[in-house]
Amino acid sequence: MMTKPHARIAIVCVSLLASCLVLARPGGLAQQAPPAAQGAQPAPAGRGGGRGGAEPSPSGMSFFVTSVGLGKGGDLGGLAGADAHCQALAAAVGAGNRTWHAYLSTQARPGQPAVNARDRIGTGPWYNYSFAQLGQPQNAIISQNLAELHGDTLVQAQRGSNMYKQNARTEKAEVIHGIGDMPPIEHEILTGSQTDGRAFTDSADHTCNNWTSSGPGSAQVGHSDRIGNANHSWNSSNATTGCSQAALESTGGAGLFYCFAIN
Amino acid sequence: MATKKSLVAAVAALTLFGGYVAVAQMPTPDPKMNFFVTSVPIGDGGNLGGLAGADAHCQSLATAVGAGKRTWHAYLSTQARPGKPAVNARDRIGKGPWYNFKGEVIAPDLAHLHGDTMELARLGNNLNKLTGLTEKGETVPGLYDYSDARDNFWWYAKTTPYSNRHEMLTGSQPDGTAFTDENDHTCDNWTSNKDAAPQPAGGRGAIGPGPGRPNAQIGFPDRNGGGNGSWNSSHGTRGCSQESLPGTHGVGMFYCFAIN
Repeated sequence: MMTKPHARIAIVCVSLLASCLVLARPGGLAQQAPPAAQGAQPAPAGRGGGRGGAEPSPSGMSFFVTSVGLGKGGDLGGLAGADAHCQALAAAVGAGNRTWHAYLSTQARPGQPAVNARDRIGTGPWYNYSFAQLGQPQNAIISQNLAELHGDTLVQAQRGSNMYKQNARTEKAEVIHGIGDMPPIEHEILTGSQTDGRAFTDSADHTCNNWTSSGPGSAQVGHSDRIGNANHSWNSSNATTGCSQAALESTGGAGLFYCFAIN
Repeated sequence: MATKKSLVAAVAALTLFGGYVAVAQMPTPDPKMNFFVTSVPIGDGGNLGGLAGADAHCQSLATAVGAGKRTWHAYLSTQARPGKPAVNARDRIGKGPWYNFKGEVIAPDLAHLHGDTMELARLGNNLNKLTGLTEKGETVPGLYDYSDARDNFWWYAKTTPYSNRHEMLTGSQPDGTAFTDENDHTCDNWTSNKDAAPQPAGGRGAIGPGPGRPNAQIGFPDRNGGGNGSWNSSHGTRGCSQESLPGTHGVGMFYCFAIN
């Protein structure tokens, strides 16, 4: 009985210490008594009621990140399987009237030329399913055209496009969890592409054997939150350590990929 | 014995607790820190007292957190004037590598920071929402952080430290050099707090440069906004007064780099 109050003091002290550790995280301006957080994922339907004009809608969407992968790592059933996944996810939210292609490259094989992701996605402009932050109420723009999206000139490359964390949304308007967010982090997006959106030309595997391997191999990925590997690339930041679903998940991926409507 | 153990535990916890309070009150930057975003603006719009005034602001903020032994320069360009050549922001900041409050690398050198080649430009540097920290280790509020229509007004931004304020004055082109055209991109080389005309109701005056328009080029540490992700040259402001800067979500903060 005698020990109990002391034990309680110890527990209280440890609890205080723990809360202090939480409070002491350097993090900021945003911690100075902010109002209730709106969260990182404002639902598009909940915003802009008073703004009038067009609401963002799935039918206005011509770009999304897959909300789920195919579950078999880098085996997407080839480009055809990946395209079908884009189409099915789009159809499920009422955007199946467009023709959807996955932003994926494949590497050259004997008798089979390479395919460049950038050549598969139409000419833009592309819009996501969320509210534009500026300008008229409408779906937010990702990029005007292929040159801006990929940075085809030096100034375009230095400036970048409007592809950023809160714009790289799923077909359900969700933001992909990236560095600093609650796990699971799923920001490594399969592309198999170089920074210019074209297929690799060396002999190493960058496409999980043209999107048919869930075992050996590797895939080039970009980051939907533009954070990771000390660079800012959305489409060609680093290589995965393998092609199994577990390998993708071990480095902050889930086998998600970008989908663009070509019409 | 059990009592004694509990007491020891309590004392140990208190000691740890006390130690951590001290740390919490005065977060100290990593000794490597040679880059930060100013935690506060000077407060007179685009009038920073010229480059000298801006450098002094960097130095004093750094000194306040124990990093004053380095020589700090503001990342700002000035435009050419008769008898006075332009100054390029990129020529003012040393050679790198640059590290933030936490000791995380921002860029290893000038070429990576600015994207001097196609590949480097497409890859981009490591400045982002989580690494673009102030000298106190704070992240800079941006789009989607407590978004509020009032954050376009200085009276609100002034008293609301978590409101969107992610526009950093640079006066620079994407490659870090000064503009060479006739229009103002530097609030008259960081001496003007004027607007072309009084801000219309709603604070939504025209954006960007033009003949007779006081204006500053800005970039985003969180790489979100303006239709591009540029950290140093996304777009212009509505004017150079302190009141006009929040009209596009800035308050007159800027980047500081140590040259040594």
